[in-house]
Amino acid sequence: MQTTLDADTTPAPAHIANHPTHWRNRGFAHHWKSRDDDFEASKFGMWLFLTTEVLLFAGIFCAYAVFRLLYPDAWANGSHHLDWRFGAGNTVVLLISSWTAASAVRCAQLNKQKWLKINLIITLICAALFVFIKLKFEYAVKLGDGKAPGTFFSYAYAENPYEVLWWSLYYMGTGIHALHVLIGASLLGWVLYRSWKYQAYGPTEYLMVENSALYWHLVDLVWIFLFPLLYLIH
Amino acid sequence: MSNHDTTAHEEHAHGHPVVSWQMQLGVLLVLLFFTFTTVLFYNAEKWVEAAFEIHLPLWVNIVGAMSIATVKAILVCMYFMGLRYDKALNTFAMLFCLFCVGLFLAFTMIDLESRDRVYTWKQGEVITGGTGSGLNALPRDPNFNAYLGKTINTQGMSIVEFRRQQGLEAAGSEKAFWSKHYHHHAEHRHSADINNYFAKLGYDHHNELSDANQSVPRRGITPGLFGAVDPADTHDSHNDSHSDDHGSSDAADH
Repeated sequence: MQTTLDADTTPAPAHIANHPTHWRNRGFAHHWKSRDDDFEASKFGMWLFLTTEVLLFAGIFCAYAVFRLLYPDAWANGSHHLDWRFGAGNTVVLLISSWTAASAVRCAQLNKQKWLKINLIITLICAALFVFIKLKFEYAVKLGDGKAPGTFFSYAYAENPYEVLWWSLYYMGTGIHALHVLIGASLLGWVLYRSWKYQAYGPTEYLMVENSALYWHLVDLVWIFLFPLLYLIH
Repeated sequence: MSNHDTTAHEEHAHGHPVVSWQMQLGVLLVLLFFTFTTVLFYNAEKWVEAAFEIHLPLWVNIVGAMSIATVKAILVCMYFMGLRYDKALNTFAMLFCLFCVGLFLAFTMIDLESRDRVYTWKQGEVITGGTGSGLNALPRDPNFNAYLGKTINTQGMSIVEFRRQQGLEAAGSEKAFWSKHYHHHAEHRHSADINNYFAKLGYDHHNELSDANQSVPRRGITPGLFGAVDPADTHDSHNDSHSDDHGSSDAADH
């Protein structure tokens, strides 16, 4: 069934196959009983780190909830200044990138070196597209109108004195999320570089692909909640 | 760990389950479908409110959007992040974290709702922050100002009101101020006129603007917050000299 997508059977050139970074030549830390213990422990560590990331964003979501209850009019006004089409577009971009990141893990597991790289490249393109849409169609337009956070606020047509709080929370929430997009893209870029240069990831050695993809999925998860909270709920 | 929907490539994946590409693609399509659904729900709700001139309760909006988001998040966690095929410990760590988030949110909400009943001294006038009205405070030490940006003095107003006054001064008159706003947003197809100020000022043709706010009945927007428009006399007067009328009626009252 799987013909074109089949595992990479072409032997790597000697200088790559013999390189200590090639996935076949990688060992595991000596204090582990097995490679599997090493893998599972590292992955659990990544999950623990992801819980702290969830708690970080929970602070922003909690601030959103409190301000929305205290100043519902300001929040309704602020929400209507956002265009759901850009939010939905970015959701689609991130979902596709999450899919390709999951596919990259699968390709590493099955030693499909070419498709591993293709999936990573598509993920990075989606990351760039997300940031581009965010900056070009959202931040630049809003900041040009003076809808800026805190004392930088200079939009003369706001109607509720608390609208400035909405913009502060908007930039804080989406800004920290965009920072996570950049960090996740850097991680996946590192994976792509090592994959390209050394074939560093394969069936027995794909922890870095897995953990970077987990981080990327968290970025997607946060946006899944930020999108309705900021764009759809009024 | 071999599951019915994972392909058993023991020799390839070193004992770890491999999620089949059909499953991954299917999950992506379901996620895209739910994204479409939540947007559809949002627009359908606006359409219903406009068509039947009703105001749906806010929880419809919130529950609809957040329940779809939760389903999407569960799908991402289970299939893309592989929690379904992982050790239960990873799922447990995340669930415990979500439990803590629940406590965090719940106790904040309890505090917000009941603080005035617990502490009687909090029942008095609430001093609200976050409006920028404290920006007139000078730094205690004139040689050390922690704020590196351009310092502004809002003269006791909220920053929103302060910027409006600045805009009014720059435009010269209230009419010029609002018409400038109208032209800017008509060009860019924005929809910033929550209170439909332009119709109140007599610019009726702007109703062609694609404006989400026109289809959503506003609830409790502090009317005439800055005295720019008196909503009481907007339904019958459609002349351009609205602000002049407003001024003269004020003079007649006094």
